[in-house]
Amino acid sequence: MAERIGVFVCKCGPNIGDRIDVDSVVAEAEGIEDVVTAKSHNLLCSEDGIRFLQEEIRKGGLTRVVIAACTPKQYEQKFMRACEGVGLNPYLLQMTNIREQCAWVTPDPAQATAKAKSLVRAATMRATLQEPIEKKEIEIHPDVLVVGSGVAGLEATLTLAQKGRKVYLLEKSPCIGGLGARFEEVYQTMECAPCMLAPELQEVLQKENIEAITYGELEGVVGSYGNFTVKIRRKARYVSEEACIGCSACFEPCPVEVSNEFDEGLSKRKAIYIPFAGALPNVPVIDEANCIKLKGGECNACQEACPFDAIDFDDQDRIEEKRVGAIILATGSTQFNPSSLAQYGYGRFDNVLTGLELERLNASNGPTGGKILLKDGREPRSVAFVYCVGRKEKGHCSGICCMYSVKLAHLLKEKIPGVEVYSFYTDLCLPKKEHQRLYEEVVEKGVEFIRSNGSERVSRDGKGLVVEYKADSTSKSLAVDMVVLAPAIEPNPDTAKLAAILDIPLDERGFFSEEHPLMKSFGTPLEGVFIAGCCQGPKDIGDAVAQGGAAAGRILSRLIPGEKLELEPIVAVIDEEICGGCNTCISICPYSAISRDEEKKVAVVDDTLCRGCGTCVAACPTGAARAKHFTNEEIFAEIREVVR
Amino acid sequence: MNEPTIVSFLCNWCSYEGADKAGNARLEYPANIRPIRVMCSGRVDTELVLQAFREGASGVLILGCHPGDCHYKKGNYKTRRRMLLLRKALAQFGVEPERVKVDWVAAGEGERFAKVANEMAETIRELGPLRLPLSG
Ligand SMILES: Cc1cc2nc3c(=O)[nH]c(=O)nc-3n(C[C@H](O)[C@H](O)[C@H](O)COP(=O)(O)OP(=O)(O)OC[C@H]3O[C@@H](n4cnc5c(N)ncnc54)[C@H](O)[C@@H]3O)c2cc1C
Ligand code: SF4
Ligand code: SF4
Ligand code: FES
Repeated sequence: MAERIGVFVCKCGPNIGDRIDVDSVVAEAEGIEDVVTAKSHNLLCSEDGIRFLQEEIRKGGLTRVVIAACTPKQYEQKFMRACEGVGLNPYLLQMTNIREQCAWVTPDPAQATAKAKSLVRAATMRATLQEPIEKKEIEIHPDVLVVGSGVAGLEATLTLAQKGRKVYLLEKSPCIGGLGARFEEVYQTMECAPCMLAPELQEVLQKENIEAITYGELEGVVGSYGNFTVKIRRKARYVSEEACIGCSACFEPCPVEVSNEFDEGLSKRKAIYIPFAGALPNVPVIDEANCIKLKGGECNACQEACPFDAIDFDDQDRIEEKRVGAIILATGSTQFNPSSLAQYGYGRFDNVLTGLELERLNASNGPTGGKILLKDGREPRSVAFVYCVGRKEKGHCSGICCMYSVKLAHLLKEKIPGVEVYSFYTDLCLPKKEHQRLYEEVVEKGVEFIRSNGSERVSRDGKGLVVEYKADSTSKSLAVDMVVLAPAIEPNPDTAKLAAILDIPLDERGFFSEEHPLMKSFGTPLEGVFIAGCCQGPKDIGDAVAQGGAAAGRILSRLIPGEKLELEPIVAVIDEEICGGCNTCISICPYSAISRDEEKKVAVVDDTLCRGCGTCVAACPTGAARAKHFTNEEIFAEIREVVR
Repeated sequence: MNEPTIVSFLCNWCSYEGADKAGNARLEYPANIRPIRVMCSGRVDTELVLQAFREGASGVLILGCHPGDCHYKKGNYKTRRRMLLLRKALAQFGVEPERVKVDWVAAGEGERFAKVANEMAETIRELGPLRLPLSG
């Protein structure tokens, strides 16, 4: 049956009408096959114009509509709704742009009119070939993936879980809690960090709708907001989480000793270990790289020691897929390595530590059970802090190092009576309402703040250390037992890996880039993907928690269970009769929307994932892949008419 | 008038809007630049380009988002690579490779659109209409 096409040319007041001979364009349209009505209108987008259009569609029983007017970017949606309103599938409308891309750029009226005619012919011939497309909706997935279980991830997880959301909390290390779990006390409250975190950690492990996956990593993500499929690798623990009761009988017999990364290398651990006393979940892991048995040798000391048969050397990595509607990244940060700056002697001299190392020495779950000791076992009598290590190199102030150094100075003064504490700084950053007070307190306790020009140099002198520095334009030196550096905070290497997996940008420093640095510091440019905590930039616990809460709140207010998500209607389809099963499209699709039907040996497009870019259509050697609304035939028709 | 036609494929997200911006600014470029909207420059395969020549176009301009800005990640790179190969093949058939041009215009770059369009029009004017050894 022949189509009944209506062509409507808008004058847009004088905008089109003054440059283009609209009547002759209408006349041209009238001459095209199957065009049953061609008319002009002064302002098609006006209320009157829309009424006119709908009346024409109804009256003429039109099956295709062509509108020659302004850019479709302006009113295409409005005209589509108008068609829908009178029962015409909106994809049977074709607009052509005779204003921005014709009348306004072509000074000569004759040429503008000729171009407009060709554009109208192209749109009309194309419209004949267009097919109705039905809108599709899917239900959103209200579940959420949180990556990283530091304070930011914990807050996000618990906020979401409180509202009944299912949350997958994915943690890379064997235990949850992040950096905070490794501190003894935290500013500004100077309370016990493990005690502060314990209730949260317990809740995460016990709450029914939270699935904490430790020793796991994110391997891949496909899909989009409301409908992500995430691939998670659960690394083999070689210890059954169900059978193990955490009795620790297996550690002692293990003959392997390696440096413990959770104590910043200040202690040794076995090949079967938990990161530190009290780490949760209280289930050890066997470190594949160091275990004799797993490296192919002879040993099963831990298995013999385990009274509960929890050791399983045949354990294997497992890949699991989860469907979630949103993702929060809370993977924290790392610290600038001061050994690259030789002047500080870090890595060369004993008793030159980083702040984090001192945190571990001070922690009752740390290598010395909380005793702050020099390498030779003595208590330090004098300690010098050096602030801003690597600030110049990194080009940013990390904002927390001054405060944690002040905190550590405070702790030293409390723990070791009579210890002398010096703090070398160039600038002090004490921004929050309680920070100044804590600083004044340590000054009162006798911590000496020395403003230098940042040229500190550490050398060894017998058993001790010497800090050479320049203050008030004179070179001075100071002998101390211990030097504590405050290195800049920098992105951890996983940041770039995750950015690549999720296809989200990094900022120039390598942290995740936010949707807006002020208004949406917890969002990313990718809808449904959020960031919280130090992976967005250095910050203290309070700010990290606030971002975790903000991201969770945004999800709770936007990703509502039961709500529908409209899918992109302009997708690709693959004709299984033609598809040769070459897999070209599968590898080229930027959204992993195409998979292989092994039975039929053809490629299939998942239209919940396809965004309709047409890349597969261009790449398909057989012509089996077709882009809805942008088929070859439709584009060929346009080409034919625009060159005619 | 009657300058040889240049079929211009514009990606929906950047270059189509760039062309609109040229219009908003009332910049001028020849009327033989004939736009065809596609979702992404990555949709433009050699078949579409050859079809344009077969139908009588003398030049084909493919405009996409700037590298790194493609709305679908990397469609623009794919087309650039494809068209490099096509240009080589065309040269072997005696067709000047300059008749196919891939370039980038961002959504706000009206000036750039007009410049690229004018330059392409100038190139094709100099080359003259395409006489096709391929057709038939
Ligand atoms: C020495 C030192 C002392 C500090 N003292 C204080 C203090 O007293 N008070 C205060 O307010 N702040 C303090 N801070 C800052 C505080 O540590 C941070 O604000 C806080 O840890 C940030 O929490 P987070 O959740 O962003 O990251 P983190 O606590 O670092 O947690 C990130 C988690 O993500 C996990 N992870 C990383 N990559 C992946 C991956 N690819 N997949 C899955 N999981 C991953 C990590 O294993 C970790 O568990 C201190 C910082 C330092 C360095
Ligand atoms: S098998 Fe041996 S080396 Fe491996 S964890 Fe057990 S005890 Fe240690
Ligand atoms: S059009 Fe093809 S390449 Fe593009 S998203 Fe859809 S399936 Fe993937
Ligand atoms: S969307 Fe513009 S080039 Fe891909």
